[in-house]
Amino acid sequence: MADKLRTQQQLESLQNKYIGTGHADTTKHEWTSNIARDSYASYQGHPPLLHYMSIGMGQPMEKVRMHCMERMVQPVGPAPAVED
Amino acid sequence: MANVQATQAFYSLTLEPSSAPTAACTCNVIPGLKSQDQQIFEARGQRILLHRIVENEDRTEVKVSTFLDQDVFGIVRGVSAFRIPGTGTDQLVVSSDSGRVVLLNYDPDKNSFKRIHQETFGKSGVRRTVPGQYLASDPRGRCVMLASAEKNKVVYIVNRNAEGGILISSPHEANQWASLCFAVCALDTGWEHPVFATLEVDYNDAENDPSGEMYERREKQLVYYTVDLGLNHVVKSWSDTVDYSANMIFGVPGGQDGPSGVLVCCEDRIYYRHDKSQPLSIPIPRRRGATEDPERKRCIVAGCLHLSRARHEFFFLLQTEDGDVFKLTMAMAEDASGRRTSQPESMSMRYYETFPVAKQMLLIRKGYIYIAAENGNNKLYHVNDLAEDIDFEPHNYFTSDSYSPDPEEPYEPLYFHPRGLTFTSLAVDIPSLHPLMRTQVANPLNEDAPQIYAIQGTGATSAFKTIRHGLEVQEIVSSPLGAIDYSNLWSLKHRASDQYHSYLVLSSDYADKTIVLSIGDEVETMENSPFLTTRATISASLMGDATLVQVHARGVHSILESGTVNEWPVPSHRTIVAASANERQLLLGLSSSELAFFFMGDDGVLNQLEEMPEMSGKVTALSVGQTPKGQMQAKYAVVGCDDCTIRVLSIELDSPLEARSVQALSAVPTSIEVIEQIEPDSGTNVSYVHIGLQSGLYLRAVIDDVTGELGEVRTKFLGARPTRLFPVSLASDSNSSSCVLACSSRPWLGYNHPLSTTYTLTPLVMAQTLDAARGFVSEHINGLCGIQGSNLLIFELGSVEKRLSTETVGLKYTPRGMARNPWNGVWYVVQSEGNTLSRETKRALRAKGEGVKKLEDGNVKMETTTDGEDADMKDTTAPADEDEGDVEETERHLGLSRGLGHWASCISAIDPVDAKAITSSFEFGENEAALCVAAVAFESRNWEVFVAVGTGQHLGAAPGAEVQTKGFVHIFRLVDEGRELEVVHKTEFPTPIYALLPFHGRLALGVGPELFIYDLGMRALLRKSRGLAVPNQITSLQAQGNRIIAADVSESVTYVVYKSTASSGAPAGAADRLIPFADDTIQRWTTATTMVDYETVAGGDKFGNLWVVRAPEQASKEADEEGIGGFIVNERSYLGGAPYRLELRAHYYTQDIPMSLQRTALVAGGQEVLFWSGLQGTLGILVPFVSREDVEFFAQLENLIRAEETPLAGRDHLMYRSYYAPVKGVVDGDLCERFGKLGVDARQKIAGEVEREVKEVERKVQEMRGRMAF
Repeated sequence: MADKLRTQQQLESLQNKYIGTGHADTTKHEWTSNIARDSYASYQGHPPLLHYMSIGMGQPMEKVRMHCMERMVQPVGPAPAVED
Repeated sequence: MANVQATQAFYSLTLEPSSAPTAACTCNVIPGLKSQDQQIFEARGQRILLHRIVENEDRTEVKVSTFLDQDVFGIVRGVSAFRIPGTGTDQLVVSSDSGRVVLLNYDPDKNSFKRIHQETFGKSGVRRTVPGQYLASDPRGRCVMLASAEKNKVVYIVNRNAEGGILISSPHEANQWASLCFAVCALDTGWEHPVFATLEVDYNDAENDPSGEMYERREKQLVYYTVDLGLNHVVKSWSDTVDYSANMIFGVPGGQDGPSGVLVCCEDRIYYRHDKSQPLSIPIPRRRGATEDPERKRCIVAGCLHLSRARHEFFFLLQTEDGDVFKLTMAMAEDASGRRTSQPESMSMRYYETFPVAKQMLLIRKGYIYIAAENGNNKLYHVNDLAEDIDFEPHNYFTSDSYSPDPEEPYEPLYFHPRGLTFTSLAVDIPSLHPLMRTQVANPLNEDAPQIYAIQGTGATSAFKTIRHGLEVQEIVSSPLGAIDYSNLWSLKHRASDQYHSYLVLSSDYADKTIVLSIGDEVETMENSPFLTTRATISASLMGDATLVQVHARGVHSILESGTVNEWPVPSHRTIVAASANERQLLLGLSSSELAFFFMGDDGVLNQLEEMPEMSGKVTALSVGQTPKGQMQAKYAVVGCDDCTIRVLSIELDSPLEARSVQALSAVPTSIEVIEQIEPDSGTNVSYVHIGLQSGLYLRAVIDDVTGELGEVRTKFLGARPTRLFPVSLASDSNSSSCVLACSSRPWLGYNHPLSTTYTLTPLVMAQTLDAARGFVSEHINGLCGIQGSNLLIFELGSVEKRLSTETVGLKYTPRGMARNPWNGVWYVVQSEGNTLSRETKRALRAKGEGVKKLEDGNVKMETTTDGEDADMKDTTAPADEDEGDVEETERHLGLSRGLGHWASCISAIDPVDAKAITSSFEFGENEAALCVAAVAFESRNWEVFVAVGTGQHLGAAPGAEVQTKGFVHIFRLVDEGRELEVVHKTEFPTPIYALLPFHGRLALGVGPELFIYDLGMRALLRKSRGLAVPNQITSLQAQGNRIIAADVSESVTYVVYKSTASSGAPAGAADRLIPFADDTIQRWTTATTMVDYETVAGGDKFGNLWVVRAPEQASKEADEEGIGGFIVNERSYLGGAPYRLELRAHYYTQDIPMSLQRTALVAGGQEVLFWSGLQGTLGILVPFVSREDVEFFAQLENLIRAEETPLAGRDHLMYRSYYAPVKGVVDGDLCERFGKLGVDARQKIAGEVEREVKEVERKVQEMRGRMAF
């Protein structure tokens, strides 16, 4: 029992520390938003990729970066309603 | 390593590093300079650089010189500089993908970066929650904050201890779950606790609300984090809601200098916010103009602050996305007694200038603005005026007085008139290659080495460039000297102590005569010169104090200062064939293989040595060393003979003409020069012998000072003609360094590169080669003179820092693709620009605008009938055509007019060889955007070449919108040898066309995932074959034989075989087939591909990887089986893909996105390499290793250097090169080249490990580059 509690605590601390660490009840929405947020963060973090997109979109890099940031708020739409 | 052993391995080299800036800041890192003399610390790709602005006294010549450039093998994301109170120089901070913060110092003695601290705070890699995306440092130098895009922030407090060392605290975290960070800046709080401001959005509520209501109500917060230095922690001290569109914040000076607080830049508005003051707001003025959308809102993309601590004055320069720069100032409220308080009363903005859109704009205290441009050349502007005159352009001056700081409240937008440069002037235009859209290596000019043709840039500043490896030459004088060809020349001073040259002696072997020119204000023929003019001169020099010595075939003619002429005749039946002199010594080679040696006494008379030793073969070239400073005589002379040997002889008076060493050569030496040059390692002068051979080879060896032995031989092939060498000296700002000019089929300069300090050979870019060259110093010119046939050329060399020279032809829009006419050097470039008004739309708008203007003037009545309107339109478009040139000029400066959802596009034929201009152009209308181009010879038209252009219409339109995205292929006929284009027809397709390829006299093209083969019809293209090739979208096509390689936008490459009915003898009516037979195992977002051989494809992807894949042997054989169908048709699909899988042979992370790959040789006589170019301006090569030993050697060397010197930014090198997939089959040559920069001990150690000499390792590393490229 103590082992189980310990595992649980460890998992919780991991989940707290690393965003996106899943749990048994991870929904599709959580999972996909998490991946999409990771992607948007990566686009901004790699300067050549941001540059590539900015040329494709015909917009300055700062605007494309803002666009990526903004998409991180809700990348895949609102969460589906939970049925009780 | 096992894999490297098994298959082909490559050596990766960067020829030209990326030029795209990611971050920049000003700093003061050189001790002892004035605080105004700021340096620029800049990050470009994986490099960090330090620049200085060098100007002459009256500021007429300004130069941005890079004095340090280091590869950090990591993705640099931010840089900052701050001064810890009480220290002498600035600390540099670098945030990268290493999960570490790195504090650097500049070490002026070694000219290198010194890592002070390296603190780990998170995982490596660019991750959502690992800080590094944002970097801000306290203006008083007490702490730095790093933040990530989401959740994490970390603050380090830095201090100085009593010994002057820099201390760094443990990390203080300020993390907030589910909060996104949009921007970070440091507040100026004076000496109170440091505060960092951030823009944050909390998405927790929106995430958990299925109705989407919370998402609609989300807010952006301005948050203050106070670093409590006493309690040693970071607390969130204040937060308030700001306008949701906010994207950037700037700290406003505080303490005695200003009110503190932040400027919050939002879409269309700028706010001033602070917890202790009232908010203020001012709209961002919009452009006024006929082709400008009055509703379009701008946001700020870059900015900088100028603060005068002495006068407590400050202003901001803020740049909008159009490139318009505004000067923002703040006015303070005054208290009852008229003193300035710290409460701001109003803000005012003035339109300052329009600059290229900057990634970072820096204001340098010396009076310059540095624009680290997002696209195109970086620029340095000189500030002539700070726009303080209120009466100037009152219509471009705005204040915040009538604007409410409430974001909800509606307001009247402001408008201004953009104009040309007024307050500043362009001081330096730093040539940059980013963004480099495509390159192609070709040699239509049949020069020695091929040129790189590139399309580069965005918008109105884009260009077609011809890039050559070589130094640019500024021709000053080129004058013909009659009908005879000259073979050599000498520039001589009258006295040794003179500053300038007085005589120019030219000799012609062919006509057997010499002419003498005098150098004064003008260079003119000297009628009665003391020189002998009836014979060809072998050597002319100034010896002693003022004795001119002319050597000709029959004797030595020496002219003393008094005018007395001494003649030394050659012993009978012999002639002089070679001669060389320094200040005191003269050595002659006679036709009898004997040497004659002379020493000049103080009286200026030449004394001959009795002995005349005989050499082993006919003397072909010889050289005596330069007289070392402060000594009377040089130690060694080198004599080359026609038995392919050179001998080092001692020429000191106590052991004259004693042989010291012999070296065999591969060909007859034609020219020898012994020159003292600085050895960059030790910084001491070393004697080098430079040897030019009959075969066009050039050698350089060190003469051992004590024994006279030759060592460290380096070889390079220069060209097809025998190499002739000329010592010259290169005048730089501080000192002149001796170099050698080697003339073969083109001239090369050998010099110690100022930045890398290695000995470099670079050709000079000239239309014609030089026959001879010497230094030329007169009152006005400090350059070189040379002979081109019968022409005398006087020229100067520009900077020797840049090794590439560029010729540019301007384009209209962002170039997307190019194709070369197969018969000549004409290129077709397709250009398209998103969110930009097309030429037709602009014309119509301008015409309308002009109509409106006339109405305002009251000259024209409102048109009531349509006829009247038509007439008016015609009226106004006519002058618009005339202004077209003007408009283009303005657009080049101000940028193209924007319009959401509009596309502007055209195709241009460019002749970079003769006309050096666009020869014809065709604008696409109807919102089409040209995407790709190919020059195709159609078999059905008797192999006539046509140009095919693939376009997309309404690109980017949302699905379900009114307009549908579709594609076209336009066909153009070529007229006037391809210089003019004539429309033939266009064919519609359901999707945009991204790839075209000439294939067997037809046109292969990708339509979405399908591959088609079309033939040319009368009114449209005619479909011949069709096959499903890739899963998503074909982005690139390559072919060899019947094999087509189709690259997918995300799914790597697929090999397709084309089975034609004609060749297989299938029944008539059976269709040609396209059968995919091999595809890849992992996803690759392919940007460019090339076929390395019939089985192998090299490609690059959007994430910056280079890879090489190869088809298995069985698949390759099966695909090529005779007959339609055969075995391959019936082969079963494997796991939902093609029947076979490709094997990965090499993989390498480059950081830059490869946009073009090509298998080509880059230098004359060089082996073929894989050349690639990246979006951010990188030019690189992958060199295939030839021998197994080399692979082992370099792999071991790479490993050792990796362990010896960890990359500066703290990233692990192996991890970095394996960013997305483990590095395979590629040795990082850039890391191997760090060997030369290591300390002596480290080099010794590594050389010991690889069981070689240090010099040998260095030679191997340098040769790897020298043999293949530059």
